[in-house]
Amino acid sequence: MTAAPASSPSYQGRASGNEDWAVTPARLEARSISKSFGGAFALKAVSVTFEPGEIHTLCGANGAGKSTLLKVMAGIHAPDSGELILNGDHLRGLTPRIAQKHGVYLVPQEPTLMGPLSALENLFVGIVPRGRLPFSVDWKAMERSAGRFFEQVGLDIDPRLPASELSIAQQQLLECARALAHSCNVIFFDEPTSPLTAHEADVLFGLMRQLRERDFTLAFISHRLDEVLAVSDRITVLRDATVVAGFDAGTATRAKLVEAMVGHAIADRQRRRRAAPDTETVLEVTGLSAPGRFSEIDFAVRKGEVLGLAGLVGSGRTEIAESIFGLRSATGRVVLGGKPFRHRSPAASIRKGLIYLPEDRGHNGVFANVELARNITAAVVPKLQRDGPLLRPAAEYEMAGHAAERTRVVAPSLHVPIKSLSGGNQQRAMFSRWLLAQPTVAIFDEPTRGVDVSAKEDIYQIIEAISDGGIAIVMISSELEELVFVCDRVIAIYEGRIVAEVAGEDITLEKLGTLAVGETAE
Amino acid sequence: MAVSQSLERMPATRGTSPQRASALRRLARRRELLLVILTLAVFLVTVAVNSGFGQGGYIAFMLADAMPLAILAVGQTIVCLVRGIDLSVAGTLGMVAVATGFLAQDYGSSVWLMLPLALGIGIGLGFVNGLFVVFARIPPIIVTLGTLIVYQGIQELICGSQTVQTLPPLYAKLGNGDFLPDIPYMLIPGVVVTSVVALLLWRTAWGRSLYAVGSSAEAAFRAGIRVNWVLISAYVVCGMLAGLGGLAFLVHYDSADSQSGLSTSINLSSIAAVLIGGTTLTGGKGGVVGSFIAALFLEVTTQAVIVLGVPQVWDQAAVGVLLLAAILVNRYQASGYSLRQALAGSRRRAPIEHGRAQ
Repeated sequence: MTAAPASSPSYQGRASGNEDWAVTPARLEARSISKSFGGAFALKAVSVTFEPGEIHTLCGANGAGKSTLLKVMAGIHAPDSGELILNGDHLRGLTPRIAQKHGVYLVPQEPTLMGPLSALENLFVGIVPRGRLPFSVDWKAMERSAGRFFEQVGLDIDPRLPASELSIAQQQLLECARALAHSCNVIFFDEPTSPLTAHEADVLFGLMRQLRERDFTLAFISHRLDEVLAVSDRITVLRDATVVAGFDAGTATRAKLVEAMVGHAIADRQRRRRAAPDTETVLEVTGLSAPGRFSEIDFAVRKGEVLGLAGLVGSGRTEIAESIFGLRSATGRVVLGGKPFRHRSPAASIRKGLIYLPEDRGHNGVFANVELARNITAAVVPKLQRDGPLLRPAAEYEMAGHAAERTRVVAPSLHVPIKSLSGGNQQRAMFSRWLLAQPTVAIFDEPTRGVDVSAKEDIYQIIEAISDGGIAIVMISSELEELVFVCDRVIAIYEGRIVAEVAGEDITLEKLGTLAVGETAE
Repeated sequence: MAVSQSLERMPATRGTSPQRASALRRLARRRELLLVILTLAVFLVTVAVNSGFGQGGYIAFMLADAMPLAILAVGQTIVCLVRGIDLSVAGTLGMVAVATGFLAQDYGSSVWLMLPLALGIGIGLGFVNGLFVVFARIPPIIVTLGTLIVYQGIQELICGSQTVQTLPPLYAKLGNGDFLPDIPYMLIPGVVVTSVVALLLWRTAWGRSLYAVGSSAEAAFRAGIRVNWVLISAYVVCGMLAGLGGLAFLVHYDSADSQSGLSTSINLSSIAAVLIGGTTLTGGKGGVVGSFIAALFLEVTTQAVIVLGVPQVWDQAAVGVLLLAAILVNRYQASGYSLRQALAGSRRRAPIEHGRAQ
């Protein structure tokens, strides 16, 4: 498979012998792991065992806890409670470095290479072989052994190339090579395929299968059920921070997985039954295109209607919404309230009654250090009551308090910085901010991301109530069941194009599931 | 209330919803109160050792002496609130001090005529900083380091080999005289500037947007705030106050030269006062009253160090120690950890997705 390994005095590891051999098998067990962020559980007493020579896939909706579990085992997050057991030994006080020393390596969703450093340096970062002089680096040993690792992962590049010049697929392979160079025998892949093309993904799967033959312990996360079914030896399904089902290869089917992922917790919530509103159109988008992101997007929303945008992360949903709101440029026509809306910007949109609740609350929504009340009134400051040029705090607090009450924000007081609230309450506060702006059209992008079950229910109720009140809503979500709950109509977007539209009782989980991955009705 | 019509449609509340907290309770947690107590403590301890420290004349001197720094610190606070920093305030101060100083020395110009000139120069220099930060997208620390050097160069150019040392008598009177017993004229601009800016921050849309932009510029833009305009205005106001600080410096010291502003290390002290006053460099948090009190605190402490007989070379070290202590307290307050954890440099890692703002 490759040239004889060079011997280097200070660099020796499990994989540095003959790499056609299997590695030391590692059985990694997560026992009753719990972890919460800001009051919301990301993992609740989760137990999963990863066996050598297996590709073990974690499935679940966004926020189910899959990534968090891998991050806990790789030492990125410290668990609140629970144990990690590797071949019978308890692992404690893990940091990424200690986890790697134990042989556990996480290939993250987005490669985290150091862009300006060469591929070679990235490969050995943290375990740079020492030269003879103190503090020196044995560059020759690095160069001698690097080729071997690149070859094992099928990476054909100049090792001196800066990592930032590699493609995403090459960066991922470099991450794998780094795991091998660090002598790791447990490799986790956190949604590695989402940025890859189908061919690149196949290359990665080929590598994963090779590693499996060599007795590596492999974990994998993906939202694409077809690839999950194709590569997995074992599948564990998580939902709402707990393990809800486990399957062996062969026993899993697409239907069973979807059922487990969606679960019974939502069975008590039914699709809203009401006649589709037959009112005037308030937002009409025609031929909206942005090169490389989306093209020829046409849709219209009526007063009081809830229109869903279904599609995978990266399908262009968010970019479409951001273009309508004025955050990105795009060609095509947007008609808002019967008038063409050109020269779009957030400020202009808000003035004209169009609001956009962003997907990334942490970076694009909240003002973390600023108190709750001012977070709520942030988009309506020009409309606040004043004495001359001065704002009237009493009136402002009353308005913020009223809005917070309506969206069911729970907080010690209106003065606490918003970052001290849970994700659910931060999101409720974001809803009160945007509803204070008196929208006629509201775009909600992943409105329930990172919130707990009760906040989700509140958010559905808010959406139902304000749409009954006449606000037109465009709702973007990766959680297909919530589109089923609240939408009057859903359009499916795949790779930047509208591929299908379903309405009324035709909006079912199965239907949306197939449409979102680009398979139009058979 | 008209603005919340669309909210009326929503389901009624349940459980406890957030209310306004009592004003007293909020006051008790404020940094300003802590600083006032600390300042008084340092003052009283020093008086106990040397009663001369408590005499009216000395208090009046310290109040006047602290004002150039206090005015600079108020401006610096505004820039820090938008997650910036202005290293060029000393350059602006020095340039204004020599420009107005030479006009007064050579032509006997009135101090009242110099006031708009000082503010005007400051506005212009601040505007230059703002333009580079916003449109050239250069980090503020680099922009203002560059302009600091340029402004100081211009200051030296103005001076040539000369110094300002003979000013009309009104200058010295304003700089060191009292308008009430033991209450110096210098206190007036300091207090007026601090109160006006505090009111602007607290009760205007502009003040509100400074906090929003500093906390998250992207989120502020999405909330309809004109982020570029807010950023430029912060540097302009900071420059304007540095200009006022320059005039205050001139009248207080009754002289100016090519090293004014530089030799007194007022530049870094202004940043120290901002941090001690409870404003963070990470933006969106703090206020100018804290910075004003922190300037007084620094003055009292450095004077106390002198009065207590510690060699004057330790002045700067004292400022440094106070700064580090203030940052520890910031950390403790921000994290909600116990003080012991803060001192131990808690190893608790923040989750990556949630902790990025810090």
